[in-house]
Amino acid sequence: MSAAPSGAAWLRPFALVTLVALALAGCSRSGTHAAGKRMIVLGVDGMDPQFLEAHWSSLPNLNRLRQEGDFKPLGTTVPPQSPVAWSSVTTGMDPGGSGIFDFVHRNPATRMPLSSMAELTPPSRTITIGPYVLPLSSGGVKLMRAGRAFWQVLGDHGVHATVIRMPANFPPADCEQESLAGMGTPDLRGTAHTYAFYTDDPAEKRKEVSGGEIVKVKLDRGRALLSIAGPPNTLRKDNATSYVTLTADVDPVEDVARFELEGQRFMLRRGEWSQWFHASFPLIRGLKSASGIFRIYLQQAHPYFRLYVSPIQIDPGDPALPISTPSNFSRTLNDAVGPFYTEGIAEETGAYRAGLFSRAEFLSQSKKVLSDSMRLFRRELDGFQDGLLFYYFSSVDQNAHMLWGRYDEDLLEIYKAIDIAVGEAMQKAGRDTELVVMSDHGFARFDRAVHLNTFLMQNGFLTLDDPKNVGDDDLFVHVDWGRTVAYAVGLNGLYLNQEGRENGGIVPMVDRQTILDKLAARLKEFKDPLNGENVIDTVYFSDTAFQGKNLKYAPDIIVGYRRGYRASWQTALGAVPKDTVEDNTQAWIADHCMAAHLVPGVILSNRKIAAKDPGLVDIPSTILSEFGLQNGPGMIGKSVF
Amino acid sequence: MDLINSGIDGALKLFFAVFSWAPPLVGLAVISALVGVGMLWVFKKTSNQARMKQVKRRVYASLLELRVFADEPGVTWRAQKSLFAANFRYMGLALQPALWLAVPMVLLIIHMESFYGRAPLPVGREAIVTMGMAPGWDAHAAAPAVTAPAGVEIAGPPVRAEAAREISWRIVPHGEVSGEMVFRVGGTAVARRIEAGSRPRYVPGTNVRSALAGVWEPAQPRVASDAVEYIEIAYPGATLSAFGVRLNWLVWFFGISILAALVMKKRFGVVI
Repeated sequence: MSAAPSGAAWLRPFALVTLVALALAGCSRSGTHAAGKRMIVLGVDGMDPQFLEAHWSSLPNLNRLRQEGDFKPLGTTVPPQSPVAWSSVTTGMDPGGSGIFDFVHRNPATRMPLSSMAELTPPSRTITIGPYVLPLSSGGVKLMRAGRAFWQVLGDHGVHATVIRMPANFPPADCEQESLAGMGTPDLRGTAHTYAFYTDDPAEKRKEVSGGEIVKVKLDRGRALLSIAGPPNTLRKDNATSYVTLTADVDPVEDVARFELEGQRFMLRRGEWSQWFHASFPLIRGLKSASGIFRIYLQQAHPYFRLYVSPIQIDPGDPALPISTPSNFSRTLNDAVGPFYTEGIAEETGAYRAGLFSRAEFLSQSKKVLSDSMRLFRRELDGFQDGLLFYYFSSVDQNAHMLWGRYDEDLLEIYKAIDIAVGEAMQKAGRDTELVVMSDHGFARFDRAVHLNTFLMQNGFLTLDDPKNVGDDDLFVHVDWGRTVAYAVGLNGLYLNQEGRENGGIVPMVDRQTILDKLAARLKEFKDPLNGENVIDTVYFSDTAFQGKNLKYAPDIIVGYRRGYRASWQTALGAVPKDTVEDNTQAWIADHCMAAHLVPGVILSNRKIAAKDPGLVDIPSTILSEFGLQNGPGMIGKSVF
Repeated sequence: MDLINSGIDGALKLFFAVFSWAPPLVGLAVISALVGVGMLWVFKKTSNQARMKQVKRRVYASLLELRVFADEPGVTWRAQKSLFAANFRYMGLALQPALWLAVPMVLLIIHMESFYGRAPLPVGREAIVTMGMAPGWDAHAAAPAVTAPAGVEIAGPPVRAEAAREISWRIVPHGEVSGEMVFRVGGTAVARRIEAGSRPRYVPGTNVRSALAGVWEPAQPRVASDAVEYIEIAYPGATLSAFGVRLNWLVWFFGISILAALVMKKRFGVVI
């Protein structure tokens, strides 16, 4: 007969288990007040304070959020561009810290524009076999943004975070947190956004249009074989584009067609969108392929065939490039909600601007993007249990560019969809979860397009090889660099042609400030020839505008336009047209690339906001503070609560 | 041949009905195990078992030689030659039962595809029905009139694909459907079975007109019109999952049948 254990002995295993559990709990929330803490942040690109003020009655959830909590304008970055602003939200640093100053930077050696957000690095070692070049070391894509993301800091302290579609986060910041890349994520071709439009319409003469290409096709007995361009085959010496063939069979009479690709078949009527096609673009036939997804839209089958093919998206179910952390997270999302748009900016503003889409067609496509986004959002919101959930919506921004000030009723529909998402987040949040809804900037009309390089030329800062060569030729093809002092690239950037920095630059370092002052004075005097009004509100010097000193790609001057004015598309790509300012006749009717104080964003919260003038850099500090953490190195904001 | 096909189809339908209460994988596991045992029996009856036993002994002996005399190159070389030859001999001996098994197995698999390889059309999701037309078809002529069973909507006009010699209709099932679509082709009514819903069931393949094409669609009634070559409904493929593993039914079928054969070979006294 065995003796009963003494009290102390039989308690021993329980005590041990309790100690281990306490130790583990301590490890997972080391030094924070995070245990059980929950916070939801909804990032709504381009949500404007004035628009909200004018439409509270149509936005019941946002209205209730401000009444129960708070609502304030949110100071944006200089310049107020999305990748710049969201980089500050991500890192808590101003552009001088994050190193992102525009959608495009310029290579000082060539003065050519380059993507500010990511850089492709080819493999350093390869082997050539016939037409193929096989990598022996890994190449990849490099995120250009400096600084640590706030969710990396949270992860360091054991706070779980899910961050969906944060802009300027491709490839996603390396960490164990769940994240999906947002703006800056390319399509499968490696471009920001390239759609294709197939037609046999003889009236369509263009080949390249804004953000896309037009491909002429010929129907034979109602059939067209459409070569869908995929990624350049980096495994081939010639980097030849890989293709798949989409077969289109058009009914001889009715406005309807059938499409087939790799065993998938869809029938579409005029004005109808397909579901997602899955395509395998062969790289080494039978051995290696790149997986992509795309949607098609049959604009009409008769009298002429007109078919839109979306940019080929990186397949979230089988991603060819890193779009999530952990790497299988996009697959998990794909399995849960089906395929979704993965490119950074998926709304088809390009086809609308090119006149290939009507406004109704643009809206129908944009609502498909929003619908994908809402499915992802609801999946994440339903599964949210602790830590931080950050979710980014692109739809307000992209629709505002095309609708603001002229089609406000259509824009309000997008705001209403976001309002529904906010309502769902409020319900999930209840009383014990912090909820913040914020935007990176507001909006203004874009009525007049400013050709800044033309202004520089007329004021003697830029010289062409022949004055007659003014026009829309981009990339400075006619600029005489030996007689040029300054040039403009991007939407707000102005650069000196500086000696020792620019290749063949002529401005000595010693004259730098004098010339900058002279430029600033002239810019402030810049009048619109049409009405005599000032074009520019504020001129910022990068040397003094930022706290951070990561200024490698910083423009020397950042131009803050007045509301209604913005740099022309030609300016962004280095063209020198004839006039300094002209009417903006494009479908892109609104913008925010102006003086920062003229286009603030918004912040709403279910708590009172103590900060008098909150700014974007305060958002990550607020998040860290809510989880009991201090600012990381380089972060300059403070909690808004 | 039609009689044999009807027999297989009838037996499988009966079997499917018996196991209709259970998840499809249960019925498949039972049938796979039975097929495994059946294959074993056929193998025993159609192969030269004594000779196979002898060849296998030769293989074992060669392997033993390789292991024991690893440091004697001459012996190793002879053992490898012997092993190679014995393997060839074994494959030759296995060929005869394999040929005996090939025809019934192919037939069985073709029939089982209707039970386990295809899923009914999902409710609320569009599907495409395609009719292949005979040579001489005029793509500009009106498409055949279609009558769908209750619960199936014909969603819009058909596409007459001239180059493919096909007509496709878009359909949307709105509930559980087990019925017939009827196409009126030049005065002849051509029927085609349609299944929709979530309940696992027999899902027929393509209806064809020619006897040659019918070899691959043995269980389907032939198309009763000279103007039509086939009628096809694009059913989604079915997958069977167990323990979180989702696989094509053929993987489960061969895995379980081979396992059953291996387990039972001693009891049956079969040398494989």
